[in-house]
Amino acid sequence: MRDWKALVKQRLAGLALEPEETAEVIAEVAAHLEDACEEMLRQGMTEEEAVRRALSQAGNWKDLRRKILALKRREQPMKKRIRQLWFLGFLTLILSMLFLTVLYRFGLQARLVWSGPNAILLYTPWLAGLPFFGALGAYISYRAGGSRATVLFVSVFPALALTFAFLFMFPFSMTIELITGRPVDFSEVATVLLKDGIGWILVPGAALLVGGLLAHLLLSARSSSRAAAIG
Amino acid sequence: MIAPGIKRGTAELAVLSVLEDGPLHGYEMARRIEEQTRGALRFTLASLYPLLYRMEKRGWVRGAWETSESGRRRRCYRLTSAGKKKLAPIRAEWSALFLALKRLAKVSHA
Repeated sequence: MRDWKALVKQRLAGLALEPEETAEVIAEVAAHLEDACEEMLRQGMTEEEAVRRALSQAGNWKDLRRKILALKRREQPMKKRIRQLWFLGFLTLILSMLFLTVLYRFGLQARLVWSGPNAILLYTPWLAGLPFFGALGAYISYRAGGSRATVLFVSVFPALALTFAFLFMFPFSMTIELITGRPVDFSEVATVLLKDGIGWILVPGAALLVGGLLAHLLLSARSSSRAAAIG
Repeated sequence: MIAPGIKRGTAELAVLSVLEDGPLHGYEMARRIEEQTRGALRFTLASLYPLLYRMEKRGWVRGAWETSESGRRRRCYRLTSAGKKKLAPIRAEWSALFLALKRLAKVSHA
């Protein structure tokens, strides 16, 4: 079997785009040539002749490379990342926090799981809604052309933002307490960190991820079934 | 055979028109255009893919990788709502141009 990707890669050498983008262009052009070659083989040509004709019908490779570079370079990678990842991540965060605020206004309170000193405070109504926000973030990111990693990153972004807030908040408050001369009980701080980490980061993160994964699975399955219909 | 200059202007209309019937990948799109125009419009890689990327950037089409039952990955393009909206005025422009040329031809024949 001919390695069309290698053939295209060789002809489009110097296509200085982001590695992921270059790989996509190569894969797409290689698939086109493969289809063209198979069509000619079905028409009764020899493999050698079909490959030669498919490559000659491709046109001017330098022209193709120049046009693709001119088009794709206009959209800077940073701009793309902002559009697909950061903007949508913050959007998911804002929506999930708005949801929490609305729940709070309606008087739906957090609940304690377990009793005694190891009790963890879980905001169950919020947690129940988080898979939806994870799925929403994943859906919008997928529609914006995000990769699988980007889609899942966007869906769990609220939990990641809370992690960042925790990591910043605790050392900051401990420093303040040290400066003001108040005694700091490190074991107590560690317990609070662990309990709040579970209630505000781990469990919400898992809920968001469940929604994001389900949305991604559904969207991928829908794409595959469409492709099957196309043939 | 149509001259390349005229072809360039018709390429967008051709792509939007074939995608109106449903999503297609690049090769199938080129094949259908060639077949339906009886070989008058023929795309090379250098003419098709830059055009598709430009149309995608404008938001007229959307490409996504899809895997068929046979396990082949192809980037399929579908018309967006912006693309569907764009198709009508492009068609109207070309119809007006053809009508004008037809009238001009009648005048010159008279």
